[in-house]
Amino acid sequence: MNRSIATQSAHGLLGLALLTTSAGVLAQSSNSVNAPPPPPPPAVSTAPAKPAADMQAVLDAMAALGAQPIERLTPVKARLQPTAADGAHAVMRRQGVSTAPDPTVTTKDIAYGSDAMQYARVYRPAAAAPGGAPLPVVVYYHGGGWVIADVNVYDATPRLLAKQLNAIVVSVEYRHAPEAKFPAQHEDAANAYRWVLRNAAAWAGDPARIVLAGESAGGNLAVATAIYARDNRLTAPLHILSVYPIANSDMTLPSKRDAANAKPLNTAMLAWFGHYWAKSMADMRDPRIDLVRADLHGLPPTTIVNAHIDPLRSDGETLAAALRTAGVPVEQRTFPAVTHEFFGLGKVVRGAYDAENYAVARVSAAIAR
Amino acid sequence: MTKTMMLLLALPATLVALPAAAQVMAPADYVAIAGASDLYEITSSRIVLETTTDPALRRFAQMMVTHHAKTTADVKAAAAKSGVAPPPPALNPLQTELVAELQAESGPARDAAYIAQQKTAHGQALAVQKAYAKEGTAPALKAAATRTVPVVQSHIAMLMKM
Repeated sequence: MNRSIATQSAHGLLGLALLTTSAGVLAQSSNSVNAPPPPPPPAVSTAPAKPAADMQAVLDAMAALGAQPIERLTPVKARLQPTAADGAHAVMRRQGVSTAPDPTVTTKDIAYGSDAMQYARVYRPAAAAPGGAPLPVVVYYHGGGWVIADVNVYDATPRLLAKQLNAIVVSVEYRHAPEAKFPAQHEDAANAYRWVLRNAAAWAGDPARIVLAGESAGGNLAVATAIYARDNRLTAPLHILSVYPIANSDMTLPSKRDAANAKPLNTAMLAWFGHYWAKSMADMRDPRIDLVRADLHGLPPTTIVNAHIDPLRSDGETLAAALRTAGVPVEQRTFPAVTHEFFGLGKVVRGAYDAENYAVARVSAAIAR
Repeated sequence: MTKTMMLLLALPATLVALPAAAQVMAPADYVAIAGASDLYEITSSRIVLETTTDPALRRFAQMMVTHHAKTTADVKAAAAKSGVAPPPPALNPLQTELVAELQAESGPARDAAYIAQQKTAHGQALAVQKAYAKEGTAPALKAAATRTVPVVQSHIAMLMKM
C-alpha cells in the first residue's frame, strides 16, 4: 500500500512540476512579494458540488466585496483580497448580527521571537477567575497557505475555542512566504510551541494540558508540531484538532479534481501557494508537508474536520487513514455542502456551527480531567 | 534518446531557471491603493471618535487621522513628481463594508470592532508600502513608500498593545 501511494505521489508531484514549470518558472519564486504568479494549471471543466444556501451567501458576499482569483495575483495583491471572514461579516451585518469581537474573551499580543511576525495572540476567557485552577492551553495556527492571511483574519476559531473550552488559546503568527520560505513556518510553529510550554504557567495555563489546533496550512502545522514535540521529547499535546490540513502532496487525489473549481479555495491556488512557499520540488515531498508519508507513530488522539467542497478534502481523509495505520486514535468527519474556510463561520453557516460543536466536544473530552 | 528521457533531463534545468522579473504594481495602482488605505483609516477613525469614551483609543484614532492625512499628502506630491495624476482616493468595496460595519456598532463594541479592523488594515498597508518601497518603479513614489513603512510599523507596535 505504501508503495502504491508513493508511486501515485511521484506521478502527482511530477504533474505539479510540469504545471508550474510550463513557462520556465519553477514551483519556486524569489523572496519578493511582487513575484509574478506561476502560469495557471490547465483549466478543468469539473463543476464543484453545490454549497448550502447559507454557505453560498458567504461566497456571494466575498464576490460582492471584489474578491479576485488569488492564483492570478502577486502575493502583495493577494493579501489585500476579501476573505471568507470578511464575507461572513458582511452577511452578519445584513442580518443585524454584531461583527465586533466577542468581549467575553480578551486578547493580548506577545512576541515570541525577534522577527515582527513572530508573535502570538493570547486569548483568555474573561470570566476565568484570577488565581483559579490553571486552564488548558490550545496552541492554534492560522491558515492562508503560508502566504496570505494572519492571526487577524483567523480570529473566529481561537476566540470560539477559548470561550467554549474555557481555555487559553495561543494563536501563533509566523513568518510568511515568499519573504521566508519553507521550513520557516514550521520552525516558527515549533519555537512557539516551546515558548508556550515555558510560559503557560505565567498565563495561569496548565503546561501539562496542551492541545494543538490549526486550520488549512495551520492544520498541517498542528500535526507537524506534534511530530516535532514527539521527536524532541517535549510535553506531548493531549489532542490534535486539524481542520482541512494540507497533508498530501499528491495532486491527483479525488478532491483536487472534483473540487478543482471550488471557492474560496481551488486547486490552482494550491499550486500558487506552493510556488511561493517551496524552495524546490523536494520541499513538497518533505514529511512536514506530505504528512501522509511522515512517521505518525505515537501521536496523540486526533480529530480531523473536512469540508466536502474543498480540494483539501482528500488530504484530510488520507491523513486519517495514515494515522489509523500508525495506530493513532483518529476521528475524521467531512461536512456536506460546505467549502474550505467554513470552520469558524458558525454564526451564519449551519454546517460550520455543527462542525464547531463537533470539534469542541472532541477536544473538551480530551482535556477533561 | 527518447523524448521522455529528454524531458526528464531537461527538467532540472527548468527547475533552476531564474525567477521571472518582479511584477510590481504600476505607479497609478500604488497611488490608488495607498490613497484608499489612508481614506479608510481616516474615515474609520472619525467614526470611532464620534462615540469612544476611552481616552487612549481617542488619542490613537486622532493620531491615525493626522498621520494618514500626512501620508496621503506625501503620496500625492510624489505622484505629481512621477507624472501620475490619480483621481481622488476612494474606498474599495471591502473598505466600504468595513466602514458600514463600524457604523452598525455602538459603545464598547464599536471600539473593539475598530481595533480589530485596524490590526488587519495596518498589516495590509505595511505589505503594500514595503512591496513598493522595495521594488517600486517611480523613484519619488518609492521614496514616499520608504518613508511610510516606519509610520505604519509604529502604528502596528501601538496596536499590539491594544
